[in-house]
Amino acid sequence: MAAKKEKKMLLGAVAGVLLVGVLAGCGDNGNGGSNEGSGKKVTLRMIESLTSPARTAVLQEMIAKFETANPNIKVDLISPPFDQADNKIKTILGAKEELDVLEVRDSTISEFSNNGYLESLNDYVKSWPDYATVVDVAKSVASLNDNVYFVTNGMYQRQMFYRKDWFQEKGIQPPTNYEEMVAAAIKLTDPSKNRYGFSFRGGAGANGVPDAMIQNYNFDNIDHDDSNFLKDGKSMYSTPEAKQALDLYVKLYKEGSPKDSINWGYQEQVQAFTSGVTGILLQDPDAIPSLMEKMDVNTIGTAPMPKGPSGKSFTATGGAGWGIAKNSKHKDEAFKLIAFLSSPEQNTYFATKTALIPIHTSASKDPFFQTDMYKTLLDMASKPDEFVNLKANTKYPGIGQWGQVAMESGQSLLLGKATEEDTLKKWDQFWADQKANLK
Amino acid sequence: MNDDRPSVIGRLQASFRNSPRGFIFFCLLPTLVLMLVFTYYPFFRGIVMAFQNYQLFDLTNVHYIGLDNFKNMFEDAKFKFAAVNSVYWVFISLIAQFTIGLSVALLLNKRFRGRGFFQGFVFYPWALSGFLIGLIWKWMFNSQIGVINDLLLRSGIIHERIGFLSDPNWAMASVIIANVWYGIAFFAIMLLAALQSVPSELYEAGSMDGANGARKLLNITLPYIMPTVITTTLLRAIWIFNDPSIIYGLTNGGPAGSTHILSSLMLDKIMYSGDYGAASAIGILMIGILLLYTIFYLTVTRAAKLGDF
Repeated sequence: MAAKKEKKMLLGAVAGVLLVGVLAGCGDNGNGGSNEGSGKKVTLRMIESLTSPARTAVLQEMIAKFETANPNIKVDLISPPFDQADNKIKTILGAKEELDVLEVRDSTISEFSNNGYLESLNDYVKSWPDYATVVDVAKSVASLNDNVYFVTNGMYQRQMFYRKDWFQEKGIQPPTNYEEMVAAAIKLTDPSKNRYGFSFRGGAGANGVPDAMIQNYNFDNIDHDDSNFLKDGKSMYSTPEAKQALDLYVKLYKEGSPKDSINWGYQEQVQAFTSGVTGILLQDPDAIPSLMEKMDVNTIGTAPMPKGPSGKSFTATGGAGWGIAKNSKHKDEAFKLIAFLSSPEQNTYFATKTALIPIHTSASKDPFFQTDMYKTLLDMASKPDEFVNLKANTKYPGIGQWGQVAMESGQSLLLGKATEEDTLKKWDQFWADQKANLK
Repeated sequence: MNDDRPSVIGRLQASFRNSPRGFIFFCLLPTLVLMLVFTYYPFFRGIVMAFQNYQLFDLTNVHYIGLDNFKNMFEDAKFKFAAVNSVYWVFISLIAQFTIGLSVALLLNKRFRGRGFFQGFVFYPWALSGFLIGLIWKWMFNSQIGVINDLLLRSGIIHERIGFLSDPNWAMASVIIANVWYGIAFFAIMLLAALQSVPSELYEAGSMDGANGARKLLNITLPYIMPTVITTTLLRAIWIFNDPSIIYGLTNGGPAGSTHILSSLMLDKIMYSGDYGAASAIGILMIGILLLYTIFYLTVTRAAKLGDF
């Protein structure tokens, strides 16, 4: 008898388990109601995407100031863990749950606006005086098809960090182009000392370096409005120059980087540099605080991003910022909050606290951005002919998938499971499909 | 006031007295509602989604596509790889967890000083989340700064660092090792409880008949705890098969998809591609596999007979 019961219980268990994955897909939530009507206290629901505990604390501090200045508005800030934040935002938007202010990224602007989730901010920014001092790059990151969808809260742009002492030891100069960088990385590599040239990133976010290299190797033919494509409409992965760039990329991994780095994401990549395993790191300014905290500052040098064979380099400026959800019932209050957070004073404060580049022209005069760590970034910005800004390609809804596709096929390539030709063909196909499917 | 009319509770009581079935149903209602909302609704919704083009980044274009999700799944090289990996993942993990877990349980069944302390130690991993275990082992397995490579190098066992998670030949073995460590505690707890229920008279009788330790283990202990062994291995196999958390934290299926099992691949389809249709198709296939597995296992081990000791 007992065994029979047991059998039943087991069959039940089989049917019951396993469904957690499917559960996540079910969200037909009704709208929670909130009080409307003028004069009453309005509660804004706000969600951030690029979360970290330190950043959330800064944001809460700024929100508290806003609430003091606007006693009729209360802000509920939602801060999901970074890895899940964008999915959480997508789920909330997809389920039409109440949301007023959301953090939109260059990588999600197209998907969100495509699905009709975002309110165009064109009319709002027109009557906002501070918008006049926002730099063009910050405006262009936040717009799509002549619509402003968010007000940028900080920008990131890569530069090269290198170990000054290692370079001196080997008697080499900081590299200025990709070929020199790979050569330097190979020179610095000495596995017996557990020392490697390059902080390679083969895991999440792996597409950054190969994309930049292929872009720079196709420098003169890149379509500036469609940066994964050439002026003739073909993808940049289809050229012999792309093959050259990829050759160099594979060499960089095989001869100048730790084998383990095929799995590394942001954390491991930065950690390897700070713990003295690797000598060159290409990163955004948000890595600066952990470098300063864990390393002897005198050993860190900064240099501009490497150039391609043309002697020039594309710099891609990324960014995220605050947008308004289309079905928000408190759009005016929402913009009031965004305008407050984006004022020169608040934004510069936010940028210094989160180690990003501020959006207002006035901010570069701030002494914080005159230190060595930021000087290279400002130098790069002052030579727009050598370091040409290329607008990140955000108009394709599939851009979120690109990182995953590039990472997996890139790992197969680095492991020798796929040829360079096949990998480029796959990448070319991905972007050709994106172009064909664009509505 | 109408004093002669019974109150609501009174009426309920009266009707329950007349029909005990109604009362039982009433008591089960909260559980049933929770099950319906959180288990069965998602389950059926998942089945529907498996036949739909349901992509998170394009929710304006949800429509039925017949068996396309299943067709794509079977044509996907990644899926085939993950299916084979799942077999290794389940069987190697299960056998190692069971063998080590049983040994630990037998050791802990003896009386010795500090037994409670050791018990707590052994059971500790079971209290951790799989995701956390993945993260811990990820740093331990790191080839540059990981403690395992460091110990192996210092003790002279290896002379070159091993890419435990970056070398596809090692990666699957590494995630299985982490999983074995996690699961030993479960078997140790369950089997120890069963061992403590074996009546000591049986061993005394065995001794009188001249049975040695190995004999007692094979002829008394194992048959007596067999129902527990069957239940635990069956449940554990299902859990191992379903649980992507360790792989998710440790390698996320990488490098190049070489450590994906079916459940982590399903998660991958949701988290990175936003393709709920494809993920649901994998989910349905997994349910099918588990049903077949359970029927097979219960038939082969003839659980019904073994239950009556």
